[in-house]
Amino acid sequence: MLEAIRLTKRYDDVTALSSLDLTVRPGEVFCLLGANGAGKTTTINLFLNFVAPTSGSAKINGIDVTSQPLETKKYLAYIPETVMLYKSLTGLENLEYFAALAGRPDYTRAQLLDFLTQVGLEREAADKRVGTYSKGMRQKVGIAIALAKNAKALLLDEPTSGLDPKAANEFSALLAQLSADGVAVLMATHDLFRAKESGTRVGIMKQGRLVRTLETTEVGHGDLERIYLEHMHD
Amino acid sequence: MVMTIARKELREMLRDGRFRALAVTVFALSVVSFAAGWKHYTDVERQHLQAQEATRAQWLNQPAKNPHSAAHYGMYAFKPKSRLSLVDTGVDPYVGVAAWLEAHKQNEFRYRPAQDRTAIQRFGELTAAEGFLVILPLFIVLMSFATFAGEREQGTLRQLLGLGVARRDLVTGKAFGVAAALALVVVPATLVGVATLAFTSEFSGLRDDMPRAVLVAIVYLTFFATCVAICLGVSAWARTSRAALVVLLAFWFVNSLIVTRAAADLAAWLRPTPSAIEFQRGLERDLAAPEEMRLRLERRRQELMRQYNVQTMDAVPINFSGISLQEGEERANDVFDAHYGRLFETHEAQNRTLQWAGLAAPMIPVRSLSMALAGTDFAHHRDFVKAAESYRRGIQRVLNDDIARNSKPGVAYVAGPALWAKVPEFAYTLPSAGWALRQTAPSLLLLVAWCVASVWFASRATRRLAAD
Repeated sequence: MLEAIRLTKRYDDVTALSSLDLTVRPGEVFCLLGANGAGKTTTINLFLNFVAPTSGSAKINGIDVTSQPLETKKYLAYIPETVMLYKSLTGLENLEYFAALAGRPDYTRAQLLDFLTQVGLEREAADKRVGTYSKGMRQKVGIAIALAKNAKALLLDEPTSGLDPKAANEFSALLAQLSADGVAVLMATHDLFRAKESGTRVGIMKQGRLVRTLETTEVGHGDLERIYLEHMHD
Repeated sequence: MVMTIARKELREMLRDGRFRALAVTVFALSVVSFAAGWKHYTDVERQHLQAQEATRAQWLNQPAKNPHSAAHYGMYAFKPKSRLSLVDTGVDPYVGVAAWLEAHKQNEFRYRPAQDRTAIQRFGELTAAEGFLVILPLFIVLMSFATFAGEREQGTLRQLLGLGVARRDLVTGKAFGVAAALALVVVPATLVGVATLAFTSEFSGLRDDMPRAVLVAIVYLTFFATCVAICLGVSAWARTSRAALVVLLAFWFVNSLIVTRAAADLAAWLRPTPSAIEFQRGLERDLAAPEEMRLRLERRRQELMRQYNVQTMDAVPINFSGISLQEGEERANDVFDAHYGRLFETHEAQNRTLQWAGLAAPMIPVRSLSMALAGTDFAHHRDFVKAAESYRRGIQRVLNDDIARNSKPGVAYVAGPALWAKVPEFAYTLPSAGWALRQTAPSLLLLVAWCVASVWFASRATRRLAAD
């Protein structure tokens, strides 16, 4: 569903991403691990076509993202580190707007409320203006948008950073559900624990290279941390 | 899609207290300006009517006297105020509204309200045109500078683009959103204006004004569309909303305050207007040409003797003093035509320079078109001056003709009210809207060019809109 083929991005003389080959199949949750500047966000930006690749290509559902940027986004949902919403609109109005712009203007109020309930937003909060929301509540609306879009692929950029453990846990549960529904998930994260919990595979990135790929079922928490740190040291 | 975006933009603005305060202020200003325009129009129109009637009555009620005394007695011609002048007073306050029509002289216009003003009023009166040209663009800037740049800073733009929203839809939707918010302010204000217009004229008058009123509305709508496109373009192109605001405010400032003044100075420098004294001296110098006058009269005498087939002037059956007076008029008219022609040509050359300054500021062609359609630009002034002057020349011809035909040399001659009534009442009708537009065709072209260029700029700036 998500496919990177020798995907490379250079800024002047800095190589942000070097010849990445990666495939995320439907139902897979691929977690990208690595320090800041390792190329995780660049990978996501390349899939979103926010930056143009220097060489190689990124494909979604077999379609190249640079040649057909609008077509590929139909299959894609994106949740940034901090979901940004329109402060003067309510959570429901935000969801309605983003869903309509994602090509689903036909949802009824009840359906929209249902999405918000699914992601665990309190019923009273739905009609409050987003200006009053906590970060966790905004992330939930972000997931609701992704659910409403009914996307086949999900790009997540450190979605749980700054969330309290309970909210992060709920988030992982939602992710598991999406994965069970056949969504391909690519998530950039710093959270080794969360990666092991919700990921099917993890990839360790360093200086723009994917240096190691592991099946999460093959390693324990301790092993993952040890392997990660080994790679960070040399 | 586009409508969803427009609706959301409008909803956000309506929930913003700053927008509401701004909208109420702009609306109040519009109402006040229309009210002031209406008051001014009705006051001046009443005064003009009264003065016109009074000057006509004075003319008709002259006692029996020599027709040439009546010619010196003279009368006033008043420029009727067009109803749309309540939207745009144009150059009226500067060029004067009344001409004193008398024998031998084409007088300059009198009664220029600008002469009686204090320095503070020089900044212009609050007319609806001033509001549309200066205040509304500022309103548009404040309303839309953050449309793209603000969303980029907030991070929502990233999400919108991540959803796969086409940039074209985004810019069109936002343009409609701003337009809808603008309409909330402008439409009620315009209704107030139309009501004012209707209130100041009978139905037939309103119908006559319609072509001009509709064209004025189209001109201003095109201008607003241009402003919105520029604002959206800059907002998409700027890195931050602060930068967008600074650029747009600078543009607004240059557009509404700097270019007009700089261009006026430049125009006056390229083609200086003679001072009133210089102009008067030049006229007097050319008017005083006794030798030429003597030759002219001699020629007339020969013509008359040939015409009546007689040998001496005594045998000519008409009074030569009437002919001589008319000859003096005709000669003076040539001098007036040359001098005023040059003066007006200077003004028009200055206006052309000013018009081309519209390449630097869209407000300039809009102002020209607005004045032209309101009937208050220089072309209309010149048209009225021409009408008043040809009326003055008509009076002189009627009176001198009467002297030539009915008086005898060496006998005191008086004429009565029957002759005064032979002079028709002065009537002036505003030229058509088409005429007005033809006078300012380059402005029309410039406005269209600005509108097209700004839409092109906006679409180009959004096409390469960066997510962050």
